[in-house]
Amino acid sequence: MRSSPLAALLAVALAGAPGWRPADPAHRWELPRDHHAHPDHRNEWWYFTGTLAVVDAPARRLGYQLTFFRAGLSPDPPALDSAWAASQAVMGHAAVTDLRSGKHVFSEVLWRAAPLLGGFGAPSDPVLAWARAPAGTPGRWTLRLEDGAFHLAMRDDARGIALDLVARPSKPLVLQGPNGYSRKAAQEGYASLYASYTRLATEGTVTVGAETLRVRGESWMDQEVGSSQLAPAQVGWDWFSLRLADGRDLMLYVLRRADGSVDWRNGTLVAPGGASRVLAPEEWSVTALSTWRSPRGVTYPAGWRIEVPREGLRLVAAPEVAGAENRSALAGGISYWEGPVRLTGADGRAAGEGYVELTGYGEGTRPPL
Amino acid sequence: MRRYLVRAVGKELRAARALFLLAVAGVALGVGSVLSIQLLNRSALGAFAGSVRAVSGEADLSVLGWAGFLDERLLDEVLAVPGVAAAIPLWRAEAAVDGRADASLELVGADLLQAAVRAPWRLPEGELGEALTRRGWVAVTPALAAELGWRVGDRIPVSLGSRRATLVVGALVDLQRIAPLASRRLAVMDLAQAQALLGERGRIHQLDVRAAEGVAPEALRARLEARLGGRARVLTPEQRTAEAEGLLAAFRLNLTALSLVSLLVGGFLVYASVRASLARRREELGVLRAVGATRAQVLRLVLAEAALLGVAGTAAGIPLGWLAARANVAAVSGTIRSLYLLEGIEAVTVGPGLVLLAVATGVAGAVAGALGPALDASREDPRALLASITLEERVRARSGRTLAAGLAALAAGAAAHLALRGRWPPSAFVLALGVLVAVPLAAPAAIRLLGRAGRPQRLGVAYGARTLGARLGSSAVAAGALAVAVAMLAGVTVMVGSFRGSVERWLDATLRADVFVTTPSWRRARSDATLAPEVVARLRQAPGLVAVDLLRQVQVQAAGRRISLSGIDGALPGGERRFALLAGDPAAVMAALRRGAALVSEPLARKAGLAPGSRLAVRGPEGEIALPVAGVYRDYGTEGGAALVDLSTFARLFGPGAPSNAALYLAPGADAEATVLRLRAALRDHALQIRSNRTLRAEVLALFEQTFAVTRLLQVMGLVIAAAGVTLSLLVLARERRGELALYRALGATRPQLFTVFLGRGLGIGVVGLALGAAGGAALALVLVEVVNPAFFGWSIALHPPWAALAGQALAILAAAAAASLYPALTASRTPAAELSRDAL
Repeated sequence: MRSSPLAALLAVALAGAPGWRPADPAHRWELPRDHHAHPDHRNEWWYFTGTLAVVDAPARRLGYQLTFFRAGLSPDPPALDSAWAASQAVMGHAAVTDLRSGKHVFSEVLWRAAPLLGGFGAPSDPVLAWARAPAGTPGRWTLRLEDGAFHLAMRDDARGIALDLVARPSKPLVLQGPNGYSRKAAQEGYASLYASYTRLATEGTVTVGAETLRVRGESWMDQEVGSSQLAPAQVGWDWFSLRLADGRDLMLYVLRRADGSVDWRNGTLVAPGGASRVLAPEEWSVTALSTWRSPRGVTYPAGWRIEVPREGLRLVAAPEVAGAENRSALAGGISYWEGPVRLTGADGRAAGEGYVELTGYGEGTRPPL
Repeated sequence: MRRYLVRAVGKELRAARALFLLAVAGVALGVGSVLSIQLLNRSALGAFAGSVRAVSGEADLSVLGWAGFLDERLLDEVLAVPGVAAAIPLWRAEAAVDGRADASLELVGADLLQAAVRAPWRLPEGELGEALTRRGWVAVTPALAAELGWRVGDRIPVSLGSRRATLVVGALVDLQRIAPLASRRLAVMDLAQAQALLGERGRIHQLDVRAAEGVAPEALRARLEARLGGRARVLTPEQRTAEAEGLLAAFRLNLTALSLVSLLVGGFLVYASVRASLARRREELGVLRAVGATRAQVLRLVLAEAALLGVAGTAAGIPLGWLAARANVAAVSGTIRSLYLLEGIEAVTVGPGLVLLAVATGVAGAVAGALGPALDASREDPRALLASITLEERVRARSGRTLAAGLAALAAGAAAHLALRGRWPPSAFVLALGVLVAVPLAAPAAIRLLGRAGRPQRLGVAYGARTLGARLGSSAVAAGALAVAVAMLAGVTVMVGSFRGSVERWLDATLRADVFVTTPSWRRARSDATLAPEVVARLRQAPGLVAVDLLRQVQVQAAGRRISLSGIDGALPGGERRFALLAGDPAAVMAALRRGAALVSEPLARKAGLAPGSRLAVRGPEGEIALPVAGVYRDYGTEGGAALVDLSTFARLFGPGAPSNAALYLAPGADAEATVLRLRAALRDHALQIRSNRTLRAEVLALFEQTFAVTRLLQVMGLVIAAAGVTLSLLVLARERRGELALYRALGATRPQLFTVFLGRGLGIGVVGLALGAAGGAALALVLVEVVNPAFFGWSIALHPPWAALAGQALAILAAAAAASLYPALTASRTPAAELSRDAL
């Protein structure tokens, strides 16, 4: 992260960390209030991933990702009479993966949260987060919460992708850990508030190149709030959000050290009805089966055996597309792999779908958290 | 033959060291004067282009306001245009550093969150968060920090307009690394901080745009212009530099013209030096020919020797020119900064192009000077070379023809000027060049005229002067060179004096108020340097106040050029006395001004072809508005053109805003100086410059003096060159006429007598040079005052010859001629009678 401005921002903010509020283990979730930004915490994100089928050609499927990040710059912003005075930055990452052609298109924005460029709505505002579209594209990227459904919109004319989707939760909110308090390390203080909608019925349009396609499918939404998530020894994580064909959902994450060993891991299994259970670390395992070397020269794991023996789960997760690497030019050249996977059961039959996120692989890619 | 050349040069060095060194010095001075002016000329633009590069870096295009500023909301529209890869909003103004006279920061307030992601500015590790959140954070260049003794963490008090702010040195960033000619006073801070601490909410000055890969900047420019629909201008860095070039055109051409003159004088000296050296050795060359050297060999020998001389002189002239340029950087830079509002020059660098120019001047000048004697030496009949008198006869016979050629040059210059007048502004300089060519060509005839004066009976000064004509070749060249220098000196002195006289009269007539209030940053920041409302309110309570005149000013695009547009109070009682009208009835003009008309300055009227009744098209933020022109007023402050409107018209064009200057009119008998002191004390918390009429007048005149500093450099150089020419030609005379001198000695002439004869010769050259130069100078002054200034700068000035200064200069020239003759006279007086036997009489 040597020259990443975002990292620099966050490093400075961390230096003044006393001003930021840590994740509270006794947090009491209030909806929809808690879907809105928590500006007293340093970081926050709203993460949507999903797999969609083209309505007019159901065999054609697309994966998508749309994330809004909030990065606090200063807990005590200077009082400046300027529309540019900002105490936080807004970052948007979006990707569309064409499962037929294997094409993966990534787009991003990074602005200060200022009236001209982006921001986060107050609890009375349906807009949870917005950012001005990247240069060369008119309009905004927005995430709205209206009538219990999330409205997602992004557009990047230069890269030729756009999303305009409505995602309505079809299962209740899952708190990832007690009170949604999700520990990230053995040491105290490394944690976030983490909640997910594991299934959202999603429809709308996706634009890829010259085509604007009507789509329908399912999404997963994560919201995570915190002030310090990665412990010093950790370099990144492998994160899995899997929707099983039997109606259950599985969330797993593994926080790695620089040598590749596991520092901390966590998992949650959600029953078809929505009841969730935190999985103890010894209950499950994830084994990488192969690797993929990106054009940038970063080697990522590719394909996993995922086992939760007590729950009778023996799955193989295979990337739908190998090259789902997101390379951010704006956040100091950080890159990560974020792509759709296909699940196969022990019997060799299709067992579901999901998304995998791999961060902290390669030089200088530790997320600035 | 090559070996001979080496030996010949060695011998020449030993035999006539003074002469050789003078010749080299002559070439060096010529080269130095040309180079120094050229250096300043190039650097004037280099600084601007450097700052464009340092600030805008990789930007392909810049969106700029018609009146200097932009609404920041344009960012959204610019970002929406396909093909834009990045758009960075910039706030720019030059703030004064309080407590440091003349120190200022060229502040750039940028969206650092974006700028850091995309070059040009790479902040040190971890600085971005500080930059955004630490109040007053600013990055300055290491060079400026070293100069002013600043360290990271130091607090710097600055002001923009009457507003003070405290900045904190947050980091040292070498902004000059990208462009070495960029200003070391560049300083970068976050846009929010710049707007809040020094600027205004919502206002920026520039949007730097980078085109996406594969998108041609020209195509993107067209798209942006279409999108913005005339609300802003879109320029490439090259166009911005070209625009600055346009603003500076007259100033630079002036410099170029001066350097051409110095080239002429310098070239003359080079020519004279080489000629002198060869004339002395004419017989030697004759002997060479007589013993069998071919014509080509002699020609080559002579030219090679001259080239060597040229190279030696050039080698000495390059550092000389650089030093001279360095010595004048401050004055030229000051003019560019305060008169043209462009970046000042901070460094002069000698590029390869300039070295080439210097070599061309020195070597080509020397070779050209040697061409005549070389052809003479390679003539068919070498015997003629041994009889020195033939050459002189030819020169004498030709003096009439030379004069005719001079008159022809003058006529040609005049004809060219008349033919091109109005279509090509430099045509005025062609006329001036004609004068400068004619002057030296008249020298032989003038010296012959001197020879017709009464025949003196004794060996003395008068004899020396009268017999100059006997050696017309070298004395005419020296007198001609001196005449050119004098003409230039006199012409420029009269022009500067006339300008000064006109400015003084103009100030007397128009500088009416008793107390003037502005801010330390106003001269450079103009519309961004405003007076706070409480300052204006306090000024209105000044004791004995009769009226307050407020002024707002912007640099704006009008009538197809960049002009300075001011808003003034059109209802001020007696307000018509604030300007000297060239056209229009004062009362009617004031009434028209109040109704929304504009007054245009004389330069603007002349350059844009405006007159009462025509319309001045001004580009405001809302589009173009055509204002009726009610009158034309005299102005010597803004060469690029200026216009005046009523404050209400100004507000209609550019929106409401605070004034940048105030002028107070006090009741008769009120003590202006006391009011100044009282206001300064009452308004000490604000950054202000409060001055009485008398002080302001003195400052305006000081600024004016600075503008002409370079001209003075040329005057001095011209004189030095001319004096060197006199010494050179007298030394040649003393050597060539050893026989004659020995004869005088043999006939009983005393050493003092020979000394005075040579002094007389020097003074003779001085008188002829002075007389011709005076005539040429008068003509040149007329051309400069009556033709060049109106055609070029647009203002008319009245002829005010500064007689006392001219008389002083005349005495100085005669003294210089006498001083320049001392050494040759001493040499001549020491010629022993024994030389008689060695020279063929």
